[in-house]
Amino acid sequence: MSLPRKELRLGSDRPYDVLVCGAGHAGVEAALAAARMGADVLLLTGNIDTVAQMSCNPAIGGQAKGQIVREIDALGGAMGITADVTGIQFRLLNASKGPAVQAPRVQCDKKAYQFRLKHVCELQPNLTLFQAQVTGLIIKNDKVVGVQTNLDLDFHAQTVVVTTGTFLRGLMHIGANKNEGGRLGDFSAKSLSSSFLSAGIELERLKTGTPPRILGSTIDFSKCTEQPGDPTPTLFAFHDTRQDGDLFHVEQTGERLPGWEPGTDQVSCWMTEATGETGRIVAENLHRSPLYAGEIKSVGPRYCPSIEDKFVKFSDKESHKLFLEPEGRNTNEWYINGLSTSLPFEIQLQMLHSIPGLQHAVMLRPAYAVEYDFAPPTQLWPTLESKKVEGLFFAGQINGTSGYEEAGGQGLVAGVNAAAKAQGRPALVLGRDEAYIGVLIDDLVTKGTQEPYRMFTSRAEHRLLLNHGSAELRLVDHAGALGLVPTARLERMQAKRTAVEHWVEMFEKLTITGGIIGEVLRRSVEALPDGLPPGFVQLSRDVREEILYRVRYKGYLERERRQVAKQSDLEDWPIPADFDYTKVSGLRKEAQMKLASVRPKNLGQATRISGVNPADISLLMVLLRARR
Amino acid sequence: MPLAMADLDTLVAPASAAGVSALALIRIDGPGSHGMVAAALRRAAPPAMRHASVGIWHGADGAVIDQVVVTCHAAGASHTGNAAAEVTCHGNPLIVRRLVEDCLARGARMAEPGEFTRRAFVNGRMDLSQAEAVADLIHANSERALEAARRQLAGELGRAIAGWTDGALAVLATLEAHIDFPEEDLPPEDPAGPRQQLIALARALQAAAATERHDAALRSGIRLAVVGAPNAGKSSLLNALAGEARALVSAEPGTTRDYLEARVTGLPLAVTAVDTAGLREGGGELERAGMERSLAQAETADFLLAVVDRSQPPPELPARLLARLKPGQAAVVENKSDLPPHPALAGWLSELPHLVTCLNSAEGAAAARQVITRALEQADLAPTGEALIVSSRHADALRRAADALLRAADHLKHGSRETELASAEVRGAIDALGEVVGRVDNERMLDKLFASFCIGK
Repeated sequence: MSLPRKELRLGSDRPYDVLVCGAGHAGVEAALAAARMGADVLLLTGNIDTVAQMSCNPAIGGQAKGQIVREIDALGGAMGITADVTGIQFRLLNASKGPAVQAPRVQCDKKAYQFRLKHVCELQPNLTLFQAQVTGLIIKNDKVVGVQTNLDLDFHAQTVVVTTGTFLRGLMHIGANKNEGGRLGDFSAKSLSSSFLSAGIELERLKTGTPPRILGSTIDFSKCTEQPGDPTPTLFAFHDTRQDGDLFHVEQTGERLPGWEPGTDQVSCWMTEATGETGRIVAENLHRSPLYAGEIKSVGPRYCPSIEDKFVKFSDKESHKLFLEPEGRNTNEWYINGLSTSLPFEIQLQMLHSIPGLQHAVMLRPAYAVEYDFAPPTQLWPTLESKKVEGLFFAGQINGTSGYEEAGGQGLVAGVNAAAKAQGRPALVLGRDEAYIGVLIDDLVTKGTQEPYRMFTSRAEHRLLLNHGSAELRLVDHAGALGLVPTARLERMQAKRTAVEHWVEMFEKLTITGGIIGEVLRRSVEALPDGLPPGFVQLSRDVREEILYRVRYKGYLERERRQVAKQSDLEDWPIPADFDYTKVSGLRKEAQMKLASVRPKNLGQATRISGVNPADISLLMVLLRARR
Repeated sequence: MPLAMADLDTLVAPASAAGVSALALIRIDGPGSHGMVAAALRRAAPPAMRHASVGIWHGADGAVIDQVVVTCHAAGASHTGNAAAEVTCHGNPLIVRRLVEDCLARGARMAEPGEFTRRAFVNGRMDLSQAEAVADLIHANSERALEAARRQLAGELGRAIAGWTDGALAVLATLEAHIDFPEEDLPPEDPAGPRQQLIALARALQAAAATERHDAALRSGIRLAVVGAPNAGKSSLLNALAGEARALVSAEPGTTRDYLEARVTGLPLAVTAVDTAGLREGGGELERAGMERSLAQAETADFLLAVVDRSQPPPELPARLLARLKPGQAAVVENKSDLPPHPALAGWLSELPHLVTCLNSAEGAAAARQVITRALEQADLAPTGEALIVSSRHADALRRAADALLRAADHLKHGSRETELASAEVRGAIDALGEVVGRVDNERMLDKLFASFCIGK
């Protein structure tokens, strides 16, 4: 039998190409992408039992996030297919709105999800997984060469991807109770922070929180509203890439044959609400919340407020909706979406018992807030490489983001770029018109963030071009050039693109009853006309839907593309990395400082920096021209 | 630097100074310029490159605008490097404005200050030394533009636009909340409300854009012709308005043989008064020639002041002139209030405002200015004191914003099915408003969204 290409080794004589610290949602995608590109990868995790653990809610996708997962999938990533095959409830959000703002979301079996991803890492050639906590970086001449670990073992690599999540000096709060750690029951990475600081990397603090988990058998579902899944599931993965022998699902214990059909045997979520009684309890105990008592000074996300925040900031609202989400098929643990809090344990119990359906609920884990270090991402190049330390890449919550999907997208790009650097290949920078991942990274490195950054579709100015169904078509060239997908899949992606382009063109030429097909389709947005060509009708559903979207929204999509082209002359105008803004007489002081700190790669990026105005851009343009 | 030529906007702007001159130059730049010229000249193809070509410029509405000389330049061989056209028309600010507006109606966009230079630069049409010279120029220009923008920001236009932008952002935040947070505990989605708000906003923008008509009055001023029978006191009125003895005054009729201009002092806007030869039957050849020229002046003036001697019967005026003595275009000044009024004067041109005064007194002159100001305001020739006046560049941006908002409102007719398209239009409108006062960052929309809705599971 042939042994997999894997090797655990120490010493600096044969460094790994890429070393990834942390095996969460960012770390796993980083390691897998780099390994798929043929890089020799070491993936280190502080706890090998929590690979790709869902620390917060047991769900993948949702608005904007669902689109990111499909982009990860199009670039060969593992998040989409894993969510599909461990999914227990599937819903397409915004199904009544236009395709550009529809997004898939899936409740996952939390344990199955992380076990499968661990399994994928175990199977991946060129990827070696090992349990050790990284305690410091080894840096020589401003270039990273390896890491130190708590086992007193040093590992060496040409590039290092850091994905620390909430573990960097993680501190959890439950009322006045404080525990060090990145997640309840886990450790805190303390010495790594000093390693960053001594390398000249700035750190700041952010805060996030998670709600309590309860025992499902103690929920009175008769007082809750059922929220079933869609009868026809919308999957993330464009292709079922599972093969005999590397199948995995908890439903198939001991079995290594295909059989599980994603989207079958769905379970429901349930809805209830926090009422005025809960609000009264919150109000009476507000002084005991570390958020309101001033214990926690770091900034939390506005889009994911604690229940304290909801009752205080929106005091006119009588009640706040809560979602009860099962954490898996083989557990009776339930997640209360919407009840994030840092109030003391006994107050949490009182609140819980004030909620319809949860009067007798038994808590399994308390809610808590967690504070952690992040490195403001304007310290990164658009490749996610540090401007201070060469070869050092950052992805996930260390960049100030929130969410598994945002982490996975960054992880994939950081992994690709770390491998590309080690292999001497060109880097991957996705455009804002190409992918949500492109918008995400551009926002981070250009504007930074004041709160945990979550993707919204409204952050993408070219949202109409970024519909979830087109992710493969948008990214097929990158996937092919980087070798991120196997040849067979690449050919299917290319064939799909050819089919879409062919039919989009033909629909403006062929006629049916009522005129040219394109015009008929644009007149009747709801129903499909009769008499469409059999060649089209026989295509798979997702290909047909993409064709219909492009035909029906033709005018809007063309306008978007014109706007993209308008911006692109600035995007194509590079600014040398060593450009000295302080020597530009006439540049305003504020613009000078902002530009010197962000160091935009091109004029397009420079226009998006707050505090840089069109006059500054004109001036830069003239000087750059003069330099040539 | 490669430019996506086909995707470039076509720009238009006057290239010569504002004001009356013999000729004026309008520059059109971009891929649509040649087609635009051909269509306006009603030719199948644009004129030969680099050849001065005479033609009649027809507006998109079919009206003749002016006889013009057009020179087309091929892409790669123009000042900016893009396909371009230069149009020389007669140097009347009104003609220049109509021509530019016609180009806008044909799909061009008003050029930003310095934008032609920028295009030339982007296309590599300038060498190093030129570029360096332009660096200073652009910088100086932008500083001035910034200063102007800052002043405007502090002023009425800035406040008005901030208000409209805020209104559009509020609607956008509502639309986006329902797009980005479909699972949240939001109030039920009802596009009818946002739709009404968008239409109201668009109306406000259109009304503001319409004040552009006063912009020309503010910058180029208003021409006021003083007409009437000989010896009615036209020259006295001119002198009273000018605040100096500009015209020769005598009791002898026909003293003024040709027309004479003077800037009116003490008015909030630039008004030029034109004294004309008295109109009467007979007179010598020279006097008749003077009367002919006076009539021509009267016909092109923005406003007429008919001066009469109130002790005399109403003058016999040529039909050509009477046709222009209409409400909104003219007022009557009854001079010599110290004399008893002639009975026949009552009822003469009674639909026009009448001012009874004695132009030989100081009070008479002050009263004349007041009446003129009011008459100009009523005729909508001059803005009222507190009104917001926008330039044609701003008006262009406001109109594009209004159009986008109306298209957005149209999408909302279909309930919530096309909210993402409506949202794209509202964003376009906010960007257009941003061209006037500076770009609006998306964070402001998110701030509004999170402040208005309790988001977060």
